[in-house]
Amino acid sequence: MIRFEQATVTYPGGVTAMREVDLEIGDGEFVVIVGLSGAGKSTLIRAINGLVPLTSGKLDVNGYDVPSLSRKGRRALRAEVGMIFQGFNLVDRTTVLNNVLMGRLHTTPTWRTLIAKYRDDDIQIAARALDRVGILDRAYVRASNLSGGQRQRVGIARALAQEPNIILADEPVASLDPPTSHVVMKYLQQICRELGITTIVNLHFLDLATQYADRIIGLRDGRLVFDGPGSDADEQTFRDIYGRSLTADDTMHKQAAL
Amino acid sequence: MTAVEPPVGAPTLQLPEKPKPSLFMAGLWAVVIVFTVLCARRVGFSFAGIIEDLQRPNPVLDGLYNTRWGEMFSERSRRAFIETLQLAVMGTAAGVLVALPFALSTTRVGNPYPIPRVILRSISNVIRAIPDLLWAGLFVLGVGIGALPGLLALFFFSLAVMVKLTADTLDGIDMGPVEAAEAAGASHAQMLRTAVVPQILPAFSSYALYDFELNLRASAVLGLVGAGGIGNRLDFFRNRGQWDKLWGLVFMFFLVVMIVEWVSVRIRRKLV
Repeated sequence: MIRFEQATVTYPGGVTAMREVDLEIGDGEFVVIVGLSGAGKSTLIRAINGLVPLTSGKLDVNGYDVPSLSRKGRRALRAEVGMIFQGFNLVDRTTVLNNVLMGRLHTTPTWRTLIAKYRDDDIQIAARALDRVGILDRAYVRASNLSGGQRQRVGIARALAQEPNIILADEPVASLDPPTSHVVMKYLQQICRELGITTIVNLHFLDLATQYADRIIGLRDGRLVFDGPGSDADEQTFRDIYGRSLTADDTMHKQAAL
Repeated sequence: MTAVEPPVGAPTLQLPEKPKPSLFMAGLWAVVIVFTVLCARRVGFSFAGIIEDLQRPNPVLDGLYNTRWGEMFSERSRRAFIETLQLAVMGTAAGVLVALPFALSTTRVGNPYPIPRVILRSISNVIRAIPDLLWAGLFVLGVGIGALPGLLALFFFSLAVMVKLTADTLDGIDMGPVEAAEAAGASHAQMLRTAVVPQILPAFSSYALYDFELNLRASAVLGLVGAGGIGNRLDFFRNRGQWDKLWGLVFMFFLVVMIVEWVSVRIRRKLV
């Protein structure tokens, strides 16, 4: 359960990225957040695991009062929240398996990490995560030798290896081509449905959003301007969220056709 | 298609006005030239003098013509060489081991506290400002003549080189994996080990080999101030005027350095 109350984020530079947001996301939901770049999508997602601190307001995630967490509490919260990134954020020079094992760090003692000796159980968890995204055979390949789609699947496996109950995905398909984007979105949808993991995805392609989202949240200039089921969102809704008429750039398929 | 050939009758294009040569660069050149000439006059430099000196009987050059090649493999020389190599290996190993945590502590990613970071960075700058021979001289005064001051000098010299190069590499790493490790609930030490160290390890190993080359060369002069190794023996021949033997030793040293460098360059090329 995630609950924002009047949550506001102002960055040190003076930019306010999130304004008085009230939002509740229940367990197991698949939520897509849409909005123009700079609308506050990344800020909202990063507030959930405490990567970005709130300036004011309240935020409760899985019973953690996020703004008041100590360093230790923040690590405990982050252990329960997996994250997937636009740029994959893999360590290119090491193996796929080592990247996925990063998801086990929260239960691994520091001395084991320092000598790079993970428990067998943790390696099994990492292997299962890789198997779920269909790249177990790549476990000992260097991450830099994978294609973009495969790299993002490693990113998903790393998040899964945490055995989280929330997964945050920040523009997970923005650096991928359309077919690969669908593969990645389908894995995310599957994970949400089969494992019951709450999944929150930032997207800027509207067709992807309506196709996969159970619930769409629209942000504009840091404010929540739409919240409803994916089926309720039509072109007029998106015009309201974007504050302008739609162009080919806003949908992946029209853009791909260009 | 764009034609590369100009169409017939095309007017000559007018380029924008050429910028004037910068006054600053002209001034800088003038200063460099004047300064060099003044320095040469001050130290009494003259080509004629050099040629005259070379024509005079010169025991050092005579030694070169009559190099004692046997000195390359004599028992005492071999022992001195082994000591030099040991000094270089141990100085490098100790310096490299300390340099990694030290370098991390001087960079933003490794040390989030600004004041300790600035202090540690200043210490590293001071260590770097002191040349190897001065380190050796200081330690000879401190702990006496022998291999120990040489080892300590090479340790600090390695530290200076390694911390600087490693810190610069750390400043350029991809911060994505760092964010990923933090988002996965890793502790600071775990984040450094899993997200930072793998990124710099190839460059770091390459620097360590380079540092070993530098230490090997440095260890030749350390002996001149009594800090052990091949330099002690070079100094011994120099003091007795046995230039023929000295040259034999110099050639041997030259050979060892070339071989080590040849191997090191090849390994480093594979690493990065």
